[in-house]
Amino acid sequence: MVMIFLQKYLEMIVTSIIGTFGFCLLFHVKKNKLLYACAGGALSIIVYFVCVEIGLSLLMQNMIPAAVATLYAEIIARVVKAPATVFLIPGVIPLTPGGKLYYTMRTIIDGNESEVDGLGNETVVIALGIAVGIVLVSLVFYQISHRYVRFQIRFGETMK
Amino acid sequence: MVEKEEPGFDSKTSQNTKQEVDLQSDEDKSQEMYQDAGLVVERALDIGEAMLRSGAEILRVEDTIRRICMAYGGGIVDVFTILSLIIVSWKTNTGENITQTRRIYSYVTNLEHLEELNALSRYICTEKPDCCEIGLRAETIMCNDKKGISKSRIAGYLMTASAFAIFFGGGLRDGLAAGMVALILFVWDYLFAAGSKNRVVYSLIISTVAGIACILTVLIGVGVDVDKVMIGSIMLLIPGINLMNALRDMMCGDIITGILRLAEALMMAVAIAAGFGIAIMGMGGLFRW
Repeated sequence: MVMIFLQKYLEMIVTSIIGTFGFCLLFHVKKNKLLYACAGGALSIIVYFVCVEIGLSLLMQNMIPAAVATLYAEIIARVVKAPATVFLIPGVIPLTPGGKLYYTMRTIIDGNESEVDGLGNETVVIALGIAVGIVLVSLVFYQISHRYVRFQIRFGETMK
Repeated sequence: MVEKEEPGFDSKTSQNTKQEVDLQSDEDKSQEMYQDAGLVVERALDIGEAMLRSGAEILRVEDTIRRICMAYGGGIVDVFTILSLIIVSWKTNTGENITQTRRIYSYVTNLEHLEELNALSRYICTEKPDCCEIGLRAETIMCNDKKGISKSRIAGYLMTASAFAIFFGGGLRDGLAAGMVALILFVWDYLFAAGSKNRVVYSLIISTVAGIACILTVLIGVGVDVDKVMIGSIMLLIPGINLMNALRDMMCGDIITGILRLAEALMMAVAIAAGFGIAIMGMGGLFRW
């Protein structure tokens, strides 16, 4: 089972990890955090392919890996004491619908109006799935880490 | 003699001795204290600006500035931050009102700077060093970029474009072609990115260049499938970090900045698509591939 999975997707997993590594270099991730950041990318793409194999809907295919990558980023950020953004961006990069965006644009230019709707909708659904996945998990962490934040007001008691 | 010693003494005092100086309410002393508070706000703004420019969320910037001001004497701190402006108004416990604003123009995402600035702000809030030291430390963080062409950046361009060209179904030759396009984009970025304030127009121009370069690599026989080469180079230009920060900002309640970032990211995405479209249509009239 695992062998068949690897045979089918090994090439894509390896290339996406290399691509994530390249992105980390582009955005100047610190050298001692590169490993964690790339691990996030690997995790999200493996979860993505597992979701594809199980046969989930397009929304869930992108929502679950994004949620897993966010969970990983938030946890590892608290472990190594760095902002979560450092691990979140590399984690979600392999899920970005670059291919879909391109083909949508290409069909518009070529004038295949029958295909434009489908591809455009798919791109939007993928983007939405990733967004929902990120927000769902980071909202929980946001609520936990900002429990004690108090805003000052000039009159009256301190507001929570 | 006393007058000359005072500034040096004041800049090295810890929190306790500062309060002692305050207690002897002298006109000169209060003037000094006022300058000191203004300097603190300035340093806090420096750090906030640097963080915002390297890709921090609004909440982090506002929180950092507020914490630094609170660490140096307390009082009431009001911070308002959007994508291109920071306003700080601080009413100190000694009664001064200090307001400073900072306009932010360009953004260069740099997660290493972000991380080090975050560590610096933690250090400031616990150790409370004097303002000169904060300035020096912030400067060393922001100026550690090596001058000239950095190898890791070239490697980043090459690896991203080639790997994603293969990831989206291209062959090895497509990867090679995407790498060539990435080199051209690197040179273009190196030459022109610093002067561009309008990132939407810059995206349009650079993606047109990228599109033409992609088609040329196929025409000279390196790339096989022009779609895959183009997808590889699109991944370099996609405004993923903006979208991410837009989401995180909206989630934390900073709707204004979230909308600004989202609008910019969407406009950049459309500009990228338009740029590649211009390249395809323009070159399609001249050649067939």
